[in-house]
Order: sequence, then structure tokens, then C-alpha cells
Amino acid sequence: MRDFKISKKVLWILIAALSVSLIFSFAVPAFAAAAESVPQDAGIVDIVKEAFLEIKHDIYSVLIQNDNYKHITDGLGVTIEITIAALFIGLALGFIVAIIRSTHDKTGKFKLLDSICKLYLTVFRGTPVIVQLLIIYYLWLGKMGIHENIAAIIAFGVNSGAYVAEILRSGIMSIDNGQFEAGRSLGFNYFKTMIYIVLPQAFKNTLPTLANEFIVLLKETSVASFIAVKDMMKGANALVGFTYNMNVPYITVALIYLVMVLVLQKGVSILERRLRNSDH
Amino acid sequence: MTTDNSVLIKVAGLKKSFGELNVLKDINTEIKKGEVVVIIGPSGSGKSTFLRCLNRLEEPTDGVIEFDGVNIIDKKVNINKHREKMGMVFQQFNLFNNLTILKNITLAPVKLGLMKKNEAEEKAIELLKRVGLAEKADAYPSQLSGGQKQRVAIVRALAMNPEVMLFDEPTSALDPEMVGEVLEVMQELAKEGMTMVVVTHEMGFAKEVASRVMFMDEGYIMEEAQPEEFFSNPKTDRCKDFLSKVLL
Repeated sequence: MRDFKISKKVLWILIAALSVSLIFSFAVPAFAAAAESVPQDAGIVDIVKEAFLEIKHDIYSVLIQNDNYKHITDGLGVTIEITIAALFIGLALGFIVAIIRSTHDKTGKFKLLDSICKLYLTVFRGTPVIVQLLIIYYLWLGKMGIHENIAAIIAFGVNSGAYVAEILRSGIMSIDNGQFEAGRSLGFNYFKTMIYIVLPQAFKNTLPTLANEFIVLLKETSVASFIAVKDMMKGANALVGFTYNMNVPYITVALIYLVMVLVLQKGVSILERRLRNSDH
Repeated sequence: MTTDNSVLIKVAGLKKSFGELNVLKDINTEIKKGEVVVIIGPSGSGKSTFLRCLNRLEEPTDGVIEFDGVNIIDKKVNINKHREKMGMVFQQFNLFNNLTILKNITLAPVKLGLMKKNEAEEKAIELLKRVGLAEKADAYPSQLSGGQKQRVAIVRALAMNPEVMLFDEPTSALDPEMVGEVLEVMQELAKEGMTMVVVTHEMGFAKEVASRVMFMDEGYIMEEAQPEEFFSNPKTDRCKDFLSKVLL
């Protein structure tokens, strides 16, 4: 793997985010508590020492004690599982819808299917994903006894599919019509031309945008806890529930999301650079 | 190949309109095996549209186009099968930008099940050698000059073993110093007996290579004749006028 080291800029953002969050969530309350608990005549050094002890104790009692961190790490597994499964559903659905819509745009065929696709896009891009999730689970899949994780995968997949479809459609429409005609003139039918010639180019051109959609999807899955999915957010909420500490769980979850997103973004920029290179 | 004089393409009463605009009004002609037909005419005369109707890249409004004795305008005909036998070369080359030169050439024969992969690759390399581009097999289209791209485009069409080659202004998008290399390849093809229909502005090519020159204007074929006859003794006024403008 060439140049997969985290760049200086990314490192600085990480450090800045870490320190800001630490100051606001740990240090401020810890210092306040420390200032109260030390004797009146204690020096600044004692207060700092006491504050650090407070932070250490918080982290220990909330995360380490009784293997509490497992709530978050187990949840992380579910979050990743849902994101990846939803990604594949979104891609499959997006491809189908994009092909139908662009075929209609180009040839005027598939009127009915195109209308159905448009309805789908309007509804799923026009309502909040959390509302879709609640409706899909509580009004439909949940009643059928389907596991909440599966319901979440379907909800996020179908939602993401709407965005992927429009990204891919713009990619297909941006391919020069000459590519299409060249394919047809060689004897490929419409769909073979699409599959062998147009789609690979459209997919390549939109790959960075699709990767960004993947990042958005990863973050969006944090609302899955609304239907009792035991994802990372649910794990954090559980910890808050029985440790009565909000700082440590939420900040931990925020940092884990941040690290995942930064790593993915780095991957996207490497991808973008490689695609540019292969073009020239 | 059967007899030299057998008709390969027969066009009768061909019409094409885009909405209100009648581009082709009534086209009737025959193209025989081994003939090189060069179509010239002012812009907007319908010559490119006519060429693109021959393989139905443009859907004709009316008329008959018989290719190998089959009316390919008939909706029941599987046009894709016939297109395999009609190579086309475009003004803008239209090479597949994401594929190497070799893949550009072998994609259709392999995916359409006409050849095995290694068979198609051998043929592609052999054809590339003939146009002097064998060393570019693994390059991408963006790494080639315009003239090289067009020679590859010709090879891509030839790899299908077509019965006829359609050229749609193949040199119009080229820098002047690259026109020669493409015309040379086309001349070679003509010598080998390939049936060709060429829309072009290259009068030199028409004079030297054509077995017949076709002058189109306002959606009709105004005049067709052998090149010597055509250029020395044009019959219609429109044609005289056109030739006086292009042959300075």
C-alpha cells in the first residue's frame, strides 16, 4: 500500500478535536470538582493533580470497570455491520434505479418504471431518515417479527439507494453519447452497451462521490438506536444509563466516529488521486 | 466474397425527419461489394444522417435499406446482428476511454461471443501492426494523438470482420498533419477490396480512392458518378457551385 500514512493535517485535526473535547467534557468538570474537594490552601499543582485523578477515575469507572467498554465495542460491530450491509443494498438499488431513469431519459422507454422510481426518490429524499426508519420498523417490518437489525439495514439501504441512484444517474448522463453510439455500432444491444461501456465509466467517475455517500451513511446509522438496535450509540446510552456519567460515553463515541470518518476520507482522497492518475 | 458485382446495400425511398425538419427526402441508391462510395456535399445536406441511417444509429422515418438482402429497417430484424457486419468510424473517434487499446479492440468480439479472448487478441495485434500501432496495445486512448486514435478506431471496427465500413467524417476532427496517416490506412483498406462508404471533405481522397462519388444536397442525392467524370464534368448547378468552392 503506497502512501497510506495519516498526513500531518489529519493528525493535527485529530489532536485539536481531541483536546477541545477533552477540555470541555473532562477537564472543566474535573477541575470544578477538584477545586471543591481540595483544601482551601492547596496550590494550583494540587488542583491539577486532583483533576487528573478525577478524569482517570471517570474513565476507569465508566469504561474499564466490569468491562463496560464492551457495550461500545460490541455496538461498533453492529454499526459497521449495518453500514456495510446497507451500502450493498443501496448500491444494488441505486444501480437499478439509475439504469431505469437514464434509459428513460435517453430513449423514452420504461415510462411506468420511471414514474415509480421518481416516486421512490421523492419520498426517500424528501423525508428524514429517522422517520423512514421508525415507519419501516414499527409500522411494517417489526410487526412481521423481523429483527430490528435487519429492519435498520433495509431502512438505511433503501434510503441510501435513493442518493446513490441520483449520483450514478448523473454519472451515466455525463458520459459522452459517442461512447454509447460506438458500443451500439459494434453490435452491442442497449443493455450490453450500458453494462460493458457506459456503467464502468460512470461508476469510475462517481466513485469519490459514492464514497462520500458511504461516509454519510456510516454517521446516519447512529439513529438506529431509536428502534432498539444495539449499535454503538445504544451502547453509549446504556453506559450513561447505569453509570450516570454522560461525558465519557458520548465523547468516546464521538471520537470513534471521527476516527472512522477521517480514515475513510483519507481513503477517498487516495482513491481520487489514483483515478486521476489513470486518466492521463 | 461472392461475385464482385453483387449488391451489398440497397437503399430505396429512404426518408428521415427530425420533427418538422426533413433531412433526408428520398434517397435511392445501391452499393456493391468492394465499392468505395465517397459522399460529399455542403453541411446540412444530410450526408452524415444518411450514413447513420445505414446502420440505424438514426432511425429512418420511412423507406427500405436492404443489407445482404435483408430489410434492416424492419422492426422485427435484430439490428445488433447486422451491425456486427457494419463497422463504423466516427469523427470524434469514440474510443472507450477507460480501456486499453487492446481491450478497446477485443471487447466487442469477445463479449459478443464471436471470438475467444486469445484469438481476438492475436487478431487485434495483427491489425495494430498493420496500422503501425502494435506498441500502443497497452496504452490508454488519452495517451494517443488524434491520428493514432482514429487508426485504432478503424482497427476496432475491422476486428469484427465487417462486410462494409462506414466512415463519418473520419478526418474532420484531426490536426492537419495527422490527416494523411488516417487516409493512408483507409486507402490500404480500399485496395484490399473492403466495401466502404465515406462521408468526407477530403476531395483528394475522393479523387484518388473512390470508385464512385455521391453528391448530396437538401436531402437528395443530386449526382453520382465515377470520380474522373464527377470532378471534370459536374452536371447540376448546385454541384458545380459546391465544387468551385471546395476546389480552389
